[in-house]
Amino acid sequence: MRYALAEGVQGFARNGLMSAASVVITAVTLLALGAALAVAGALNHVAAVLERQLQVVVYLRPAAGDGEIMSVYDQLARVPDVARIEYVSSQEAARRLEAQLGPQGHFQDVLRRNPLPASFVVTAARPERLRAVAAAARDLPGVDEVRDGGFVLQRLLGVIHAVRLAGTAAGVFLACVALIVIAGTVRLTVFARRAEIEVMRLVGATAWFIRWPFVVEGAVTGACGACGAALAIAAGYALLMRGAAQALPFVPLPGAGEVAFEIVWKLLAWGVLIGTAASLLAVRRYLRV
Amino acid sequence: MGIQGGVTLPDCAMVQFAQVSKTYADGIKALRDVSLEIGAGEFVFIVGPTGAGKTTVLKMIYREETPTRGTVRVEGRDVTRMRPRDVPYLRRRVGVVFQDFRLLPRKTAWENVAFALEVTGTVPPHADGRVMDLLERVGIAARADALPGELSAGEQQRVSIARALVHRPRLLLADEPTGNLDPDTSWDIMQLLRGINADGTTVMVTTHDQTIVNRLRRRVIAMAQGAVVRDDREGVYAGRGGAAAPAVAARGQRGRSAHGAG
Repeated sequence: MRYALAEGVQGFARNGLMSAASVVITAVTLLALGAALAVAGALNHVAAVLERQLQVVVYLRPAAGDGEIMSVYDQLARVPDVARIEYVSSQEAARRLEAQLGPQGHFQDVLRRNPLPASFVVTAARPERLRAVAAAARDLPGVDEVRDGGFVLQRLLGVIHAVRLAGTAAGVFLACVALIVIAGTVRLTVFARRAEIEVMRLVGATAWFIRWPFVVEGAVTGACGACGAALAIAAGYALLMRGAAQALPFVPLPGAGEVAFEIVWKLLAWGVLIGTAASLLAVRRYLRV
Repeated sequence: MGIQGGVTLPDCAMVQFAQVSKTYADGIKALRDVSLEIGAGEFVFIVGPTGAGKTTVLKMIYREETPTRGTVRVEGRDVTRMRPRDVPYLRRRVGVVFQDFRLLPRKTAWENVAFALEVTGTVPPHADGRVMDLLERVGIAARADALPGELSAGEQQRVSIARALVHRPRLLLADEPTGNLDPDTSWDIMQLLRGINADGTTVMVTTHDQTIVNRLRRRVIAMAQGAVVRDDREGVYAGRGGAAAPAVAARGQRGRSAHGAG
Protein backbone atom coordinates (compact mmCIF):
# COMPACT_ATOMS: atom_id res chain seq x y z
CA MET A 1 0.00 0.00 0.00
CA ARG A 2 2.87 2.32 0.77
CA TYR A 3 4.16 1.48 -2.71
CA ALA A 4 0.87 2.58 -4.30
CA LEU A 5 0.76 5.84 -2.34
CA ALA A 6 4.37 6.75 -3.06
CA GLU A 7 4.12 5.89 -6.75
CA GLY A 8 0.79 7.66 -7.09
CA VAL A 9 1.97 10.90 -5.55
CA GLN A 10 5.16 10.68 -7.58
CA GLY A 11 3.14 10.28 -10.77
CA PHE A 12 1.10 13.35 -9.83
CA ALA A 13 4.26 15.39 -9.21
CA ARG A 14 6.07 14.14 -12.30
CA ASN A 15 3.30 15.33 -14.61
CA GLY A 16 3.63 18.86 -13.25
CA LEU A 17 1.86 21.12 -15.70
CA MET A 18 -0.63 18.51 -16.87
CA SER A 19 -1.53 17.68 -13.30
CA ALA A 20 -2.04 21.37 -12.60
CA ALA A 21 -4.30 21.66 -15.64
CA SER A 22 -6.30 18.66 -14.46
CA VAL A 23 -6.66 20.16 -11.01
CA VAL A 24 -7.90 23.45 -12.46
CA ILE A 25 -10.41 21.70 -14.73
CA THR A 26 -11.63 19.58 -11.85
CA ALA A 27 -11.91 22.67 -9.68
CA VAL A 28 -13.99 24.48 -12.32
CA THR A 29 -16.23 21.47 -12.63
CA LEU A 30 -16.76 21.14 -8.94
CA LEU A 31 -17.14 24.89 -8.70
CA ALA A 32 -20.30 24.68 -10.79
CA LEU A 33 -21.55 21.75 -8.80
CA GLY A 34 -20.53 23.31 -5.51
CA ALA A 35 -22.02 26.71 -6.31
CA ALA A 36 -25.32 25.04 -7.10
CA LEU A 37 -25.08 23.07 -3.87
CA ALA A 38 -24.22 26.21 -1.91
CA VAL A 39 -27.06 28.28 -3.35
CA ALA A 40 -29.51 25.43 -2.93
CA GLY A 41 -28.18 24.88 0.58
CA ALA A 42 -28.62 28.52 1.52
CA LEU A 43 -32.13 28.62 0.06
CA ASN A 44 -32.96 25.41 1.89
CA HIS A 45 -31.81 26.97 5.08
CA VAL A 46 -34.02 29.98 4.41
CA ALA A 47 -36.93 27.73 3.56
CA ALA A 48 -36.45 25.70 6.72
CA VAL A 49 -36.42 28.81 8.87
CA LEU A 50 -39.44 30.23 7.05
CA GLU A 51 -41.20 26.91 7.36
CA ARG A 52 -40.80 26.94 11.08
CA GLN A 53 -42.12 30.48 11.16
CA LEU A 54 -44.91 29.86 8.73
CA GLN A 55 -48.22 29.91 10.33
CA VAL A 56 -51.76 30.74 9.32
CA VAL A 57 -53.06 33.71 11.19
CA VAL A 58 -56.84 33.73 11.51
CA TYR A 59 -58.02 37.21 12.48
CA LEU A 60 -61.30 37.37 14.27
CA ARG A 61 -64.01 39.95 13.82
CA PRO A 62 -63.76 42.58 16.56
CA ALA A 63 -67.43 41.97 17.24
CA ALA A 64 -67.06 38.24 17.64
CA GLY A 65 -68.35 36.99 20.96
CA ASP A 66 -66.78 34.34 23.16
CA GLY A 67 -69.18 31.69 21.84
CA GLU A 68 -68.26 32.46 18.27
CA ILE A 69 -64.56 32.43 19.16
CA MET A 70 -64.91 29.05 20.85
CA SER A 71 -66.70 27.62 17.82
CA VAL A 72 -63.95 28.92 15.51
CA TYR A 73 -61.43 27.17 17.73
CA ASP A 74 -63.39 23.93 17.61
CA GLN A 75 -63.67 24.11 13.82
CA LEU A 76 -59.96 24.80 13.44
CA ALA A 77 -59.09 21.95 15.77
CA ARG A 78 -61.03 19.62 13.49
CA VAL A 79 -59.10 20.57 10.33
CA PRO A 80 -56.62 17.78 9.49
CA ASP A 81 -52.89 18.49 9.88
CA VAL A 82 -53.33 21.29 12.35
CA ALA A 83 -50.54 20.89 14.86
CA ARG A 84 -51.09 23.79 17.23
CA ILE A 85 -53.59 26.57 17.76
CA GLU A 86 -52.66 29.57 19.82
CA TYR A 87 -55.15 32.22 20.85
CA VAL A 88 -53.75 35.73 20.76
CA SER A 89 -56.07 38.24 22.38
CA SER A 90 -56.25 41.82 21.27
CA GLN A 91 -54.26 42.89 24.33
CA GLU A 92 -51.63 40.20 23.76
CA ALA A 93 -51.25 41.29 20.12
CA ALA A 94 -50.69 44.87 21.21
CA ARG A 95 -48.12 43.79 23.78
CA ARG A 96 -46.21 41.74 21.21
CA LEU A 97 -46.20 44.57 18.70
CA GLU A 98 -44.89 46.98 21.30
CA ALA A 99 -42.17 44.53 22.22
CA GLN A 100 -41.21 44.22 18.57
CA LEU A 101 -41.16 47.95 17.98
CA GLY A 102 -39.01 48.67 21.03
CA PRO A 103 -38.87 51.70 23.32
CA GLN A 104 -40.47 54.13 20.84
CA GLY A 105 -43.36 51.80 20.10
CA HIS A 106 -45.97 52.86 22.61
CA PHE A 107 -48.55 53.33 19.90
CA GLN A 108 -51.44 52.86 22.29
CA ASP A 109 -50.41 56.10 23.94
CA VAL A 110 -50.84 57.82 20.59
CA LEU A 111 -53.93 56.04 19.36
CA ARG A 112 -55.58 55.87 22.75
CA ARG A 113 -57.13 52.56 21.75
CA ASN A 114 -56.00 49.14 20.58
CA PRO A 115 -56.68 48.63 16.84
CA LEU A 116 -55.41 45.04 16.79
CA PRO A 117 -57.93 42.25 16.45
CA ALA A 118 -57.74 38.99 18.38
CA SER A 119 -56.49 36.05 16.36
CA PHE A 120 -55.73 32.35 16.26
CA VAL A 121 -52.20 31.47 15.20
CA VAL A 122 -52.44 28.08 13.58
CA THR A 123 -49.38 25.93 12.92
CA ALA A 124 -49.69 23.17 10.33
CA ALA A 125 -48.06 19.80 10.89
CA ARG A 126 -46.65 19.91 7.36
CA PRO A 127 -45.86 23.22 5.65
CA GLU A 128 -47.42 22.19 2.34
CA ARG A 129 -50.76 21.83 4.19
CA LEU A 130 -50.79 25.48 5.18
CA ARG A 131 -52.96 26.59 2.29
CA ALA A 132 -55.58 23.94 2.99
CA VAL A 133 -55.71 24.98 6.62
CA ALA A 134 -56.08 28.62 5.56
CA ALA A 135 -58.85 27.76 3.12
CA ALA A 136 -60.74 25.85 5.77
CA ALA A 137 -60.52 28.75 8.19
CA ARG A 138 -61.65 31.40 5.73
CA ASP A 139 -65.33 30.44 5.65
CA LEU A 140 -65.88 30.09 9.38
CA PRO A 141 -68.33 32.53 10.97
CA GLY A 142 -66.60 35.07 13.16
CA VAL A 143 -63.48 35.06 11.00
CA ASP A 144 -62.50 38.37 9.51
CA GLU A 145 -59.35 37.64 7.52
CA VAL A 146 -56.90 34.80 7.02
CA ARG A 147 -53.25 35.22 6.13
CA ASP A 148 -50.95 32.40 5.13
CA GLY A 149 -47.33 32.46 3.96
CA GLY A 150 -47.64 29.26 1.98
CA PHE A 151 -47.42 31.05 -1.33
CA VAL A 152 -43.94 32.43 -0.63
CA LEU A 153 -42.75 29.05 0.50
CA GLN A 154 -44.08 27.33 -2.61
CA ARG A 155 -42.21 29.78 -4.79
CA LEU A 156 -39.03 29.32 -2.80
CA LEU A 157 -39.25 25.55 -3.02
CA GLY A 158 -39.68 25.90 -6.78
CA VAL A 159 -36.56 28.05 -7.05
CA ILE A 160 -34.55 25.58 -4.95
CA HIS A 161 -35.66 22.77 -7.23
CA ALA A 162 -34.65 24.69 -10.36
CA VAL A 163 -31.25 25.63 -8.94
CA ARG A 164 -30.60 22.02 -7.97
CA LEU A 165 -31.56 20.78 -11.40
CA ALA A 166 -29.51 23.34 -13.32
CA GLY A 167 -26.51 22.84 -11.04
CA THR A 168 -26.68 19.07 -11.38
CA ALA A 169 -26.99 19.24 -15.16
CA ALA A 170 -24.01 21.61 -15.45
CA GLY A 171 -22.13 19.51 -12.89
CA VAL A 172 -22.67 16.26 -14.76
CA PHE A 173 -21.56 17.78 -18.04
CA LEU A 174 -18.45 19.33 -16.51
CA ALA A 175 -17.72 16.16 -14.58
CA CYS A 176 -17.46 14.33 -17.90
CA VAL A 177 -15.00 16.97 -19.12
CA ALA A 178 -12.95 16.61 -15.93
CA LEU A 179 -13.05 12.83 -16.26
CA ILE A 180 -11.57 12.99 -19.74
CA VAL A 181 -8.88 15.51 -18.77
CA ILE A 182 -7.79 13.57 -15.68
CA ALA A 183 -7.81 10.34 -17.66
CA GLY A 184 -5.53 11.99 -20.21
CA THR A 185 -3.12 13.09 -17.50
CA VAL A 186 -3.05 9.72 -15.78
CA ARG A 187 -2.50 8.10 -19.15
CA LEU A 188 0.73 10.09 -19.45
CA THR A 189 1.94 8.36 -16.30
CA VAL A 190 0.70 5.04 -17.55
CA PHE A 191 2.60 5.62 -20.77
CA ALA A 192 5.76 6.69 -18.94
CA ARG A 193 5.56 3.54 -16.86
CA ARG A 194 4.41 1.06 -19.47
CA ALA A 195 7.67 -0.92 -19.26
CA GLU A 196 7.14 -1.31 -15.54
CA ILE A 197 3.51 -2.28 -16.03
CA GLU A 198 4.56 -4.91 -18.51
CA VAL A 199 7.12 -6.36 -16.12
CA MET A 200 4.56 -6.32 -13.32
CA ARG A 201 2.09 -8.24 -15.43
CA LEU A 202 4.80 -10.64 -16.45
CA VAL A 203 5.95 -11.52 -12.95
CA GLY A 204 2.41 -11.97 -11.68
CA ALA A 205 1.36 -8.73 -10.02
CA THR A 206 -2.39 -8.62 -9.61
CA ALA A 207 -4.40 -6.15 -11.67
CA TRP A 208 -5.32 -4.19 -8.58
CA PHE A 209 -1.73 -3.89 -7.45
CA ILE A 210 -0.92 -2.39 -10.84
CA ARG A 211 -3.95 -0.08 -10.77
CA TRP A 212 -3.54 1.34 -7.28
CA PRO A 213 -0.78 3.91 -7.96
CA PHE A 214 -2.82 5.35 -10.84
CA VAL A 215 -5.98 5.39 -8.78
CA VAL A 216 -4.07 7.29 -6.10
CA GLU A 217 -2.83 9.77 -8.69
CA GLY A 218 -6.33 10.33 -10.05
CA ALA A 219 -7.81 10.63 -6.58
CA VAL A 220 -5.15 13.14 -5.51
CA THR A 221 -5.91 15.23 -8.63
CA GLY A 222 -9.63 15.10 -7.90
CA ALA A 223 -9.15 15.95 -4.23
CA CYS A 224 -6.91 18.94 -5.04
CA GLY A 225 -9.54 20.20 -7.48
CA ALA A 226 -12.23 19.77 -4.86
CA CYS A 227 -10.25 21.73 -2.27
CA GLY A 228 -9.71 24.55 -4.76
CA ALA A 229 -13.39 24.62 -5.62
CA ALA A 230 -14.45 24.58 -1.96
CA LEU A 231 -12.12 27.46 -1.12
CA ALA A 232 -13.37 29.51 -4.06
CA ILE A 233 -16.98 28.87 -3.14
CA ALA A 234 -16.47 29.70 0.53
CA ALA A 235 -14.73 32.95 -0.45
CA GLY A 236 -17.39 33.82 -3.01
CA TYR A 237 -20.17 33.04 -0.59
CA ALA A 238 -18.62 35.15 2.16
CA LEU A 239 -18.37 38.06 -0.28
CA LEU A 240 -21.98 37.62 -1.38
CA MET A 241 -23.11 37.42 2.22
CA ARG A 242 -21.62 40.79 3.03
CA GLY A 243 -23.80 42.31 0.30
CA ALA A 244 -26.83 40.16 0.99
CA ALA A 245 -26.89 40.84 4.71
CA GLN A 246 -27.34 44.53 3.95
CA ALA A 247 -29.84 44.09 1.11
CA LEU A 248 -32.02 41.50 2.81
CA PRO A 249 -31.80 42.20 6.52
CA PHE A 250 -34.72 39.97 7.51
CA VAL A 251 -33.78 36.87 5.53
CA PRO A 252 -32.05 34.35 7.77
CA LEU A 253 -29.00 33.35 5.69
CA PRO A 254 -26.57 30.70 6.94
CA GLY A 255 -22.94 31.64 7.58
CA ALA A 256 -20.16 31.07 5.06
CA GLY A 257 -18.31 28.63 7.30
CA GLU A 258 -21.42 26.54 7.71
CA VAL A 259 -21.99 26.35 3.95
CA ALA A 260 -18.36 25.61 3.13
CA PHE A 261 -18.18 22.84 5.70
CA GLU A 262 -21.33 21.26 4.42
CA ILE A 263 -20.30 21.21 0.76
CA VAL A 264 -16.57 20.57 1.12
CA TRP A 265 -17.23 16.92 1.98
CA LYS A 266 -19.57 16.49 -0.93
CA LEU A 267 -17.08 18.13 -3.29
CA LEU A 268 -14.20 16.02 -1.95
CA ALA A 269 -16.23 12.88 -2.43
CA TRP A 270 -17.10 13.90 -5.97
CA GLY A 271 -13.52 14.93 -6.76
CA VAL A 272 -12.11 11.65 -5.55
CA LEU A 273 -14.82 9.74 -7.36
CA ILE A 274 -14.18 11.50 -10.67
CA GLY A 275 -10.41 11.10 -10.29
CA THR A 276 -10.68 7.43 -9.49
CA ALA A 277 -13.03 6.73 -12.37
CA ALA A 278 -10.70 8.61 -14.72
CA SER A 279 -7.69 6.54 -13.59
CA LEU A 280 -9.50 3.28 -14.05
CA LEU A 281 -10.43 4.45 -17.53
CA ALA A 282 -6.80 5.35 -18.25
CA VAL A 283 -5.25 2.04 -17.18
CA ARG A 284 -7.96 -0.21 -18.53
CA ARG A 285 -6.34 -0.66 -21.93
CA TYR A 286 -2.98 -1.57 -20.45
CA LEU A 287 -4.38 -4.21 -18.16
CA ARG A 288 -6.23 -6.44 -20.57
CA VAL A 289 -4.90 -9.94 -20.21
CA MET B 1 2.05 -27.43 -4.75
CA GLY B 2 0.16 -26.33 -7.85
CA ILE B 3 -1.16 -23.17 -9.36
CA GLN B 4 -3.39 -21.48 -6.86
CA GLY B 5 -6.90 -22.82 -7.05
CA GLY B 6 -5.89 -25.63 -9.37
CA VAL B 7 -5.25 -29.27 -8.74
CA THR B 8 -1.90 -30.69 -9.74
CA LEU B 9 -1.93 -34.35 -10.43
CA PRO B 10 1.44 -35.90 -9.67
CA ASP B 11 1.74 -37.70 -13.00
CA CYS B 12 0.38 -35.06 -15.35
CA ALA B 13 2.50 -33.27 -17.91
CA MET B 14 4.05 -29.92 -17.09
CA VAL B 15 2.69 -28.49 -20.35
CA GLN B 16 0.12 -30.02 -22.63
CA PHE B 17 -1.23 -28.60 -25.91
CA ALA B 18 -4.27 -30.39 -27.35
CA GLN B 19 -5.13 -29.49 -30.96
CA VAL B 20 -4.36 -25.84 -30.41
CA SER B 21 -5.03 -23.40 -33.23
CA LYS B 22 -4.77 -19.65 -33.23
CA THR B 23 -6.14 -17.40 -35.94
CA TYR B 24 -5.74 -13.66 -35.55
CA ALA B 25 -8.48 -11.21 -36.42
CA ASP B 26 -6.61 -10.35 -39.63
CA GLY B 27 -6.85 -13.98 -40.74
CA ILE B 28 -3.22 -14.88 -40.08
CA LYS B 29 -2.95 -18.39 -38.73
CA ALA B 30 -0.32 -18.36 -35.98
CA LEU B 31 -0.82 -21.96 -34.88
CA ARG B 32 -2.38 -24.90 -36.69
CA ASP B 33 -3.52 -27.87 -34.71
CA VAL B 34 -0.54 -28.01 -32.37
CA SER B 35 -0.44 -30.91 -29.94
CA LEU B 36 2.50 -31.49 -27.68
CA GLU B 37 3.35 -32.62 -24.23
CA ILE B 38 6.29 -31.60 -22.09
CA GLY B 39 7.03 -33.59 -18.98
CA ALA B 40 8.24 -32.25 -15.67
CA GLY B 41 11.99 -31.78 -15.63
CA GLU B 42 12.45 -31.73 -19.40
CA PHE B 43 14.70 -29.36 -21.37
CA VAL B 44 13.12 -28.56 -24.72
CA PHE B 45 14.24 -26.47 -27.68
CA ILE B 46 11.60 -25.04 -29.98
CA VAL B 47 13.16 -24.17 -33.31
CA GLY B 48 11.91 -22.88 -36.61
CA PRO B 49 11.96 -19.82 -38.84
CA THR B 50 10.58 -16.43 -37.93
CA GLY B 51 6.80 -16.53 -37.83
CA ALA B 52 6.66 -20.28 -37.28
CA GLY B 53 4.68 -19.81 -34.07
CA LYS B 54 7.38 -20.49 -31.46
CA THR B 55 6.69 -17.33 -29.49
CA THR B 56 2.94 -17.89 -29.69
CA VAL B 57 3.39 -21.31 -28.09
CA LEU B 58 5.24 -19.75 -25.15
CA LYS B 59 2.73 -16.92 -24.84
CA MET B 60 -0.09 -19.39 -24.53
CA ILE B 61 1.65 -21.09 -21.64
CA TYR B 62 1.82 -17.93 -19.56
CA ARG B 63 -1.52 -16.85 -21.01
CA GLU B 64 -0.45 -13.77 -22.86
CA GLU B 65 -2.40 -15.29 -25.74
CA THR B 66 -5.37 -17.62 -25.79
CA PRO B 67 -6.03 -20.16 -28.54
CA THR B 68 -8.91 -19.90 -30.98
CA ARG B 69 -9.39 -23.66 -30.63
CA GLY B 70 -7.97 -26.35 -28.40
CA THR B 71 -6.76 -26.35 -24.82
CA VAL B 72 -3.48 -25.58 -23.12
CA ARG B 73 -2.79 -27.18 -19.77
CA VAL B 74 -0.04 -26.16 -17.39
CA GLU B 75 0.55 -28.57 -14.53
CA GLY B 76 -2.78 -30.12 -15.37
CA ARG B 77 -4.73 -26.88 -15.22
CA ASP B 78 -6.55 -25.60 -18.30
CA VAL B 79 -5.17 -22.08 -18.66
CA THR B 80 -7.36 -21.22 -21.65
CA ARG B 81 -10.42 -21.16 -19.43
CA MET B 82 -8.68 -19.47 -16.54
CA ARG B 83 -10.37 -16.41 -15.01
CA PRO B 84 -8.32 -13.24 -15.61
CA ARG B 85 -7.87 -12.72 -11.90
CA ASP B 86 -6.13 -16.10 -11.59
CA VAL B 87 -3.60 -15.28 -14.31
CA PRO B 88 -1.17 -13.47 -11.95
CA TYR B 89 -0.87 -16.64 -9.87
CA LEU B 90 -0.12 -18.70 -12.98
CA ARG B 91 2.65 -16.24 -13.83
CA ARG B 92 4.23 -16.68 -10.43
CA ARG B 93 4.57 -20.37 -11.28
CA VAL B 94 6.03 -19.77 -14.74
CA GLY B 95 9.20 -17.73 -15.22
CA VAL B 96 9.72 -15.96 -18.54
CA VAL B 97 12.92 -14.66 -20.14
CA PHE B 98 13.08 -12.59 -23.34
CA GLN B 99 15.55 -11.77 -26.04
CA ASP B 100 15.40 -8.08 -25.07
CA PHE B 101 15.69 -8.79 -21.30
CA ARG B 102 12.90 -6.32 -20.36
CA LEU B 103 14.77 -4.93 -17.39
CA LEU B 104 13.78 -1.60 -15.88
CA PRO B 105 16.57 0.82 -16.84
CA ARG B 106 16.41 2.96 -13.72
CA LYS B 107 16.64 0.10 -11.29
CA THR B 108 19.83 -1.74 -10.33
CA ALA B 109 20.25 -5.45 -10.95
CA TRP B 110 19.25 -6.16 -7.37
CA GLU B 111 16.23 -3.85 -7.57
CA ASN B 112 15.08 -5.40 -10.83
CA VAL B 113 14.93 -8.82 -9.21
CA ALA B 114 13.48 -7.46 -5.96
CA PHE B 115 10.82 -5.59 -7.95
CA ALA B 116 9.23 -8.89 -8.92
CA LEU B 117 8.89 -9.79 -5.25
CA GLU B 118 7.72 -6.32 -4.29
CA VAL B 119 4.92 -6.06 -6.83
CA THR B 120 3.53 -9.48 -6.10
CA GLY B 121 3.52 -8.66 -2.42
CA THR B 122 4.70 -12.16 -1.66
CA VAL B 123 7.94 -11.63 0.24
CA PRO B 124 9.39 -8.31 1.40
CA PRO B 125 12.51 -8.13 -0.78
CA HIS B 126 14.71 -7.22 2.16
CA ALA B 127 13.32 -9.86 4.46
CA ASP B 128 15.52 -12.68 3.26
CA GLY B 129 18.60 -13.07 1.14
CA ARG B 130 16.67 -14.52 -1.74
CA VAL B 131 17.49 -11.79 -4.24
CA MET B 132 21.21 -11.95 -3.49
CA ASP B 133 21.16 -15.76 -3.57
CA LEU B 134 19.61 -15.62 -7.02
CA LEU B 135 22.12 -13.10 -8.31
CA GLU B 136 24.78 -15.44 -7.01
CA ARG B 137 23.12 -18.39 -8.70
CA VAL B 138 23.22 -16.63 -12.09
CA GLY B 139 26.77 -15.47 -11.46
CA ILE B 140 26.50 -11.68 -11.17
CA ALA B 141 26.28 -11.07 -7.43
CA ALA B 142 29.30 -8.77 -7.74
CA ARG B 143 27.33 -6.45 -10.02
CA ALA B 144 24.18 -6.26 -7.90
CA ASP B 145 24.33 -2.47 -7.67
CA ALA B 146 24.88 -1.83 -11.38
CA LEU B 147 22.15 -0.41 -13.60
CA PRO B 148 21.22 -2.44 -16.68
CA GLY B 149 22.92 0.14 -18.88
CA GLU B 150 26.21 -0.55 -17.13
CA LEU B 151 25.93 -4.28 -17.69
CA SER B 152 26.87 -6.26 -20.78
CA ALA B 153 24.11 -7.97 -22.73
CA GLY B 154 25.03 -11.33 -21.22
CA GLU B 155 24.95 -9.88 -17.71
CA GLN B 156 21.58 -8.30 -18.36
CA GLN B 157 20.21 -11.63 -19.48
CA ARG B 158 21.50 -13.17 -16.26
CA VAL B 159 19.61 -10.56 -14.27
CA SER B 160 16.44 -11.28 -16.22
CA ILE B 161 16.89 -15.01 -15.55
CA ALA B 162 17.29 -14.28 -11.84
CA ARG B 163 14.08 -12.26 -11.98
CA ALA B 164 12.26 -15.10 -13.74
CA LEU B 165 13.35 -17.47 -10.97
CA VAL B 166 12.37 -15.25 -8.07
CA HIS B 167 9.11 -17.06 -7.38
CA ARG B 168 10.82 -20.44 -7.66
CA PRO B 169 8.83 -21.48 -10.72
CA ARG B 170 8.63 -25.11 -11.82
CA LEU B 171 8.67 -23.98 -15.44
CA LEU B 172 11.02 -21.51 -17.13
CA LEU B 173 10.24 -20.18 -20.60
CA ALA B 174 12.99 -18.49 -22.58
CA ASP B 175 12.02 -16.73 -25.82
CA GLU B 176 15.19 -16.43 -27.91
CA PRO B 177 17.29 -15.78 -24.80
CA THR B 178 20.52 -15.68 -26.82
CA GLY B 179 19.17 -13.72 -29.77
CA ASN B 180 21.13 -10.61 -28.81
CA LEU B 181 24.28 -12.33 -27.58
CA ASP B 182 27.59 -13.33 -29.16
CA PRO B 183 28.30 -17.06 -29.48
CA ASP B 184 30.45 -17.40 -26.34
CA THR B 185 27.99 -15.52 -24.18
CA SER B 186 25.15 -17.49 -25.71
CA TRP B 187 26.83 -20.70 -24.72
CA ASP B 188 27.30 -19.45 -21.14
CA ILE B 189 23.64 -18.47 -20.87
CA MET B 190 22.59 -21.83 -22.24
CA GLN B 191 24.80 -23.55 -19.68
CA LEU B 192 23.09 -21.52 -17.00
CA LEU B 193 19.66 -22.61 -18.27
CA ARG B 194 20.88 -26.19 -18.33
CA GLY B 195 22.01 -25.89 -14.75
CA ILE B 196 18.62 -24.54 -13.74
CA ASN B 197 17.05 -27.49 -15.51
CA ALA B 198 19.41 -29.86 -13.69
CA ASP B 199 18.08 -28.43 -10.43
CA GLY B 200 14.62 -29.68 -11.39
CA THR B 201 13.01 -26.80 -13.29
CA THR B 202 11.40 -27.58 -16.60
CA VAL B 203 12.93 -25.34 -19.29
CA MET B 204 11.56 -24.44 -22.73
CA VAL B 205 13.78 -22.42 -25.05
CA THR B 206 12.97 -21.01 -28.48
CA THR B 207 16.09 -20.36 -30.51
CA HIS B 208 17.68 -19.85 -33.89
CA ASP B 209 21.06 -20.95 -32.59
CA GLN B 210 21.95 -24.07 -34.57
CA THR B 211 25.32 -24.61 -32.95
CA ILE B 212 23.92 -24.69 -29.44
CA VAL B 213 21.02 -26.95 -30.33
CA ASN B 214 23.30 -29.35 -32.12
CA ARG B 215 25.83 -29.41 -29.29
CA LEU B 216 23.37 -29.93 -26.45
CA ARG B 217 21.42 -32.77 -28.03
CA ARG B 218 18.18 -32.24 -26.15
CA ARG B 219 14.59 -32.65 -27.21
CA VAL B 220 13.90 -30.48 -30.27
CA ILE B 221 10.45 -29.45 -31.43
CA ALA B 222 10.63 -27.92 -34.90
CA MET B 223 7.86 -25.66 -36.11
CA ALA B 224 7.00 -24.22 -39.50
CA GLN B 225 4.05 -22.06 -40.48
CA GLY B 226 2.32 -22.57 -37.17
CA ALA B 227 2.54 -26.34 -37.09
CA VAL B 228 4.85 -28.82 -35.37
CA VAL B 229 6.86 -30.50 -38.11
CA ARG B 230 9.26 -32.53 -36.00
CA ASP B 231 9.67 -33.61 -32.38
CA ASP B 232 12.92 -35.46 -31.66
CA ARG B 233 14.45 -36.68 -28.45
CA GLU B 234 18.13 -35.69 -28.48
CA GLY B 235 17.43 -33.84 -31.71
CA VAL B 236 19.40 -31.45 -33.86
CA TYR B 237 18.49 -28.10 -35.34
CA ALA B 238 17.81 -29.30 -38.86
CA GLY B 239 15.86 -32.48 -39.41
CA ARG B 240 17.41 -35.65 -40.71
CA GLY B 241 18.14 -35.17 -44.36
CA GLY B 242 17.23 -31.49 -44.04
CA ALA B 243 13.55 -32.28 -43.49
CA ALA B 244 12.93 -28.93 -41.81
CA ALA B 245 14.90 -27.04 -44.37
CA PRO B 246 13.18 -23.68 -43.84
CA ALA B 247 14.57 -23.60 -40.33
CA VAL B 248 18.11 -23.50 -41.62
CA ALA B 249 17.43 -20.44 -43.72
CA ALA B 250 16.45 -18.50 -40.64
CA ARG B 251 19.89 -18.80 -39.10
CA GLY B 252 21.48 -15.42 -38.69
CA GLN B 253 18.25 -13.59 -39.32
CA ARG B 254 18.07 -12.79 -35.63
CA GLY B 255 14.34 -12.78 -35.87
CA ARG B 256 11.53 -11.90 -33.67
CA SER B 257 8.46 -13.76 -34.79
CA ALA B 258 5.77 -11.82 -36.59
CA HIS B 259 3.81 -11.41 -33.39
CA GLY B 260 6.89 -11.27 -31.26
CA ALA B 261 7.20 -8.40 -28.84
CA GLY B 262 4.08 -7.30 -27.17
